[in-house]
Amino acid sequence: MHPACRARQEGFGLLFYDSRGPRLLFAETGTLLPPDYFGTVRDRDELPDGLSDNQKKALQRFVTKLLEKGFLREQPLR
Amino acid sequence: MSNRYVEMGMRSPVNLTWEVSLACNLRCTHCLSSSGEPAEGELSTAEALDLVEQLHEARVFQVNFGGGEPFMRPDFEEILAACHNRGIMTCISTNGTLLDAERVARLATSRLVAIQVSMDGASPETCDAIRGNGVFENAIEAIKLLAATSIPTSINTVLTTQNAGEIPAMHELAHSLGVSLRVSRFRPSGRGADNWEDLRPTPAQLLEFSDWLARSGDVRTGDSFFSLTSQERQGLGLNLCGAAKLTCCVGPTGNMYPCAFLQTDRFKAGSLREKSFQDIWDSSEIYDSFRSLRIHSCEECQRFDQCHGGCPAVAWHLKNDLNGGDPECLERCVTSIADANRTAAAA
Repeated sequence: MHPACRARQEGFGLLFYDSRGPRLLFAETGTLLPPDYFGTVRDRDELPDGLSDNQKKALQRFVTKLLEKGFLREQPLR
Repeated sequence: MSNRYVEMGMRSPVNLTWEVSLACNLRCTHCLSSSGEPAEGELSTAEALDLVEQLHEARVFQVNFGGGEPFMRPDFEEILAACHNRGIMTCISTNGTLLDAERVARLATSRLVAIQVSMDGASPETCDAIRGNGVFENAIEAIKLLAATSIPTSINTVLTTQNAGEIPAMHELAHSLGVSLRVSRFRPSGRGADNWEDLRPTPAQLLEFSDWLARSGDVRTGDSFFSLTSQERQGLGLNLCGAAKLTCCVGPTGNMYPCAFLQTDRFKAGSLREKSFQDIWDSSEIYDSFRSLRIHSCEECQRFDQCHGGCPAVAWHLKNDLNGGDPECLERCVTSIADANRTAAAA
């Protein structure tokens, strides 16, 4: 996650905060992703176990959206 | 901004204003809290640090420190460090007069702090008329120190009738110093209420400012001007009052309020000396009333979806009516000018 951003669990899912705006992003993820999921460096396609194919596809689209909006940062793995 | 999620209710505010002290070395004529001497019974260091722990547990993302002048508190940097140790982002609103090279170097060791230096004019004459002699130059020196670091820094200007014509120059000044500009709304609370008629921008100035804002996408306004926001700036911020929904205010003695402009007994949501932060956020009747507040008198307005009735605090201070609609919204500015023109033509 970008250092200027944070996430936390809300009733609808994850709430993202970007202090650079500030701006908010509301994500109806329910409990599919814990808020600390983005706290460590991960492979882009890495998702929690136990998800259906549809859930995985939806979450992959969501991760792409977070990257595009600057909440997440992509970096090469060394 | 999606109101649907906001109306579902947040587990805690996303950010809050914490006025850590009423102590201030200046006596600005527009001060929202009439700062000067410290308030009786301000939170002790231990109480302040306990509040930081509660904010961490509540997952508050950011604390915006104000006052008074935060650096008047001897323990302020300790409170700040406690926030940063817990990963809480911070923004300090300061007059800049107590920032020296050593303090700025200490602040720059954290990547979680941003600083707003208050200035109320692009010239010493305009700025110092509001803030006091010599403050303009002191603030410039502070901004130069900050701009040489990685601390995100902005000039914060409260729009008044005296400086309304200098806002583009303030923008240029900020650029020349390598910082950004933030413009805040003048509201009639504290000494701002005492000097309201002398300082309030005219409807024509507010309209001109709204047009200028539409062309100045890099200028931030916090939650100040959603009542004036043009279509061009939709998406840059809130389109409704966030008090008790997304934000709140903690006063110097630990009382909680919906926002910094409503720090009176009438709007006291609770005391942190009697209840926990989370208890007050979850169960205060005042907060409940703000969460269910609907400005029905504005619902027929074509701009209702863009401002939802504007700032209830201004409506309260000027009309004693939270539901009365913002007296300085874009529509009312236009109407006011048209009425004045008709009156002048008839005469």
